[in-house]
Amino acid sequence: MATQREERTPHWVLHTFLIATVLYTVYPVLWVITIALSGKQSLAIADLPADPTKLDRARAVLPWPTRFAFSNFSSVFTDQPFARWMLNSAIVAVGATVVGLALSCTAAYAFSRFKFPGRRFGMMSFLVSQMFPGTLTLIPLYIIIVQWLGLGSTLSGLVIVYATTSIPFSVWMLKGYFDTIPKELEEAAVMEGAGPGKIFWSIVLPLAKPAIAITALFSFMTGWNEFIQAATFMDKEQMYTAPVGLRFFVGGFQQQWGYFAAGSIIVSIPVVLLFLYLQKYLVSGLTAGSVKG
Amino acid sequence: MSPAGPPASRLRFGLGLFLGLLVALGGGWGLLRGARRQLEDDWATRRAIVTASALGSMVARAADDAAVRRTVAAWQEVHAPGTQVRVVRGTALEASTVPADTGDKAAPRRLAREEKPLFDQAQRLRAGVENNRDGGAPKPELEVEREAAGRRVAVPLESEGRVTGMVQVLVPAEGSSSARAPFQALILVALALILYGVAAWLLPPRVAILAMVGTALFCLAAAFFVGGELRALGLLERDGQRALARTVSVEMERARVLGAGTVDGSAWDTDVYRKPHGLVSAAGSVNREQGEARAQEVRRGALRSLLALSVLGLIVLVVVGFGGANRVGRALVTNRQAYAYIAPAIVGTTLLVFFPFFYGIALSFTDSNIYNTNLPLSELWIGLRNYTSILGDFGFMRRAADGHWVFNYLNFYWTFLFTVIWTITNVTWGVSFGLLLALVLNTKGLALRPIYRVLLILPWAMPNYITALIWKGMFHRQFGVVNQVLAIFGAEPLSWFDRPFTSYLTALATNGWLSFPFMMVVSLGALQSIPADLYEAARVDGASRWQQFRAITLPSLRPALVPAIILSVVWTFNMFNIIYLVTAGEPGGSTEILITQAYKYAFQRYQYGYAAAYATIIFGILLVYGSIQNRVTRATEAL
Repeated sequence: MATQREERTPHWVLHTFLIATVLYTVYPVLWVITIALSGKQSLAIADLPADPTKLDRARAVLPWPTRFAFSNFSSVFTDQPFARWMLNSAIVAVGATVVGLALSCTAAYAFSRFKFPGRRFGMMSFLVSQMFPGTLTLIPLYIIIVQWLGLGSTLSGLVIVYATTSIPFSVWMLKGYFDTIPKELEEAAVMEGAGPGKIFWSIVLPLAKPAIAITALFSFMTGWNEFIQAATFMDKEQMYTAPVGLRFFVGGFQQQWGYFAAGSIIVSIPVVLLFLYLQKYLVSGLTAGSVKG
Repeated sequence: MSPAGPPASRLRFGLGLFLGLLVALGGGWGLLRGARRQLEDDWATRRAIVTASALGSMVARAADDAAVRRTVAAWQEVHAPGTQVRVVRGTALEASTVPADTGDKAAPRRLAREEKPLFDQAQRLRAGVENNRDGGAPKPELEVEREAAGRRVAVPLESEGRVTGMVQVLVPAEGSSSARAPFQALILVALALILYGVAAWLLPPRVAILAMVGTALFCLAAAFFVGGELRALGLLERDGQRALARTVSVEMERARVLGAGTVDGSAWDTDVYRKPHGLVSAAGSVNREQGEARAQEVRRGALRSLLALSVLGLIVLVVVGFGGANRVGRALVTNRQAYAYIAPAIVGTTLLVFFPFFYGIALSFTDSNIYNTNLPLSELWIGLRNYTSILGDFGFMRRAADGHWVFNYLNFYWTFLFTVIWTITNVTWGVSFGLLLALVLNTKGLALRPIYRVLLILPWAMPNYITALIWKGMFHRQFGVVNQVLAIFGAEPLSWFDRPFTSYLTALATNGWLSFPFMMVVSLGALQSIPADLYEAARVDGASRWQQFRAITLPSLRPALVPAIILSVVWTFNMFNIIYLVTAGEPGGSTEILITQAYKYAFQRYQYGYAAAYATIIFGILLVYGSIQNRVTRATEAL
């Protein structure tokens, strides 16, 4: 009886459905790879003859370059300051992740373990702050960072902004996970004479590794992918981050799709790999954070 | 009340009164000192501008170079020692009374290389005048520099409607009036404290009485202080107006003596764009109505700040008096460990998350735009006008020239409607497709599951601005692959971004592509945590698959799905990158969502105040949504 029910949907139907979906998700990625490998700046995969047949059109849709050339990958580094932009992005994203996580971990631990006046208010205001529209805070942030602190067009200015704006989300995620770590472990440690600092460092943090990894991932990806604030604070072309630079290629009057495609692939590879590597934490980290929150 | 009892509260209210007065009076005094300095500075600048403009108009009348030098020399005679004049025309220094310009450096001569700043300044003024004449964004037509010796004012020289050079005058600084000492404030504080001490020991030591006495004394002292200071400020303003009028009439008289005949001096009192303020009449006296209005405005501006400070002081009084500060202090000490842990995060977010937010809200009540960013917000205050012009405009339809009804895409309600449709369609798609995929992937014994999973998560892993630009490229009319596919099936190529509906479809396709993996991962996680024996038991009971889904799967998914949906609604509602990069609001702003519209008001139309109001409304909508959602979720959980 039970086995009969399981077999009601044959696996080949599921596979067909999944393959169709995979084609849908993978096609844009293959498209951008094709453009990058075409060695041209055009966004057409193949040049159509004057009177194209259906076959010609199908050729123009197939994500396979008419001839392979790696020139886009090399000239994006030689003709454009793309290496510098990548370095800027890396410094900003790593810096923001480290600073943001250090602040969030301690705060989340306190919110999870201590009862103190203002605890509920603090968590609620962190939650509400997630609803602040970015546009509203962009102008004041510009005034603070550029005019008051004089950190316009510097990497440290961007690190500070990304690190602090990631705190509320990180605290919620981490607090939700800390709540699921049994208190008994810490109580046992207290009985053996460990101080609060030691408990935090050698018991809670190691246990919370999945949540920390996932929070770090989000924090890093935000820093790596953000471009509105970066475009606002970074005036000098030398100080652009990769997203600002990439948009430069195809925004406005320039239509350098080849550079854009090659650059996109280079920029995406680290985050995509990181994301896929850490995806086993995705479920546990996210659900722990959101269900308990 | 606090267990310490009345004697302690006597002291507490005394302390509260002291601290409150310190805030209100001390802060008020500091604030007014700044305002007084500002006022004196403004008036001195305006007098200097009058002086320079008077000379400028005389130099402009002079027939030739020699006449210019005679005018300048005669003018220098009748002005205070320390006044310095330079007349620059082209690359020549035509006249100069600067002490260094004597002997072989005496005017007329060519400007030396190190005097290039003078030449540049003249060029700037010329550019400013010409720009303003052509109706560009206003640029200054005269320049004022503050120096230790006084103010250096440069005005353009015009002849026959063209700017030919400039006159630069150093007007020496006058002795500024002595700053008011904070005696009045100190005396008021002392008086209030003494009165409080007497009252507190005479009256029965009840908290209510103490609070009343303290508050009354506070209000009295604050009222005395505010009244006195405002009067002083008003007098200062009137003195400034009179001094300006005196300068104008003196300069008119001097011009007459120097042979310029009767001139209209009222045009000399201008702002940096050389627009007359109109405060001084042609006869050289203060225009009473305008002068009064200005004085009132000054007083009103100061009053607003002082009232705000008084309210703050009162809050301090109440908080300290009723033991709030005491309790806060005790809480800080007992929970010092917890506070130490959260302090860095709190300080960081306060400075760079919460402060900007409140600053933005304050901005929404002002008329701040690119031309007035250097002014303080209090001067730009326009109350609720931004909100009424956004929310009060219901003209989202209008009749076009050919009689058809067309949408006004810049209207708030159109954008709001579009944002709602955008959010609902996206979230619906994301949840249903994500859940479907999760159910399929959760099938036991399905081959290649990890590979499918990785490939299906790919859109989430891709940076979304790259996704947006890719899809924008794929929807290109001439070269985009979407139109090629349409052509294979014999359809005409579509201009996707020319019509609102197709433009919306492009954004939907893009966002749909990148948003479903999140829902899939969340659902999959929840599905895997459902114990298999639940299904086992259901099967034993003979439940159909649909029944199992309804009774087991959906309820188990809810704790994970509901927060994910809430999150996803907020994300989609504010999905800036996709709209901004894919459709860019085309055509004609019809596919703009609220957040991109607010951004465009701020950074393309430079109406910061209006944009801030727009963004505040977005926040309000999300807040209402959040609370409704919260209530609904709780209600359903209770069932």
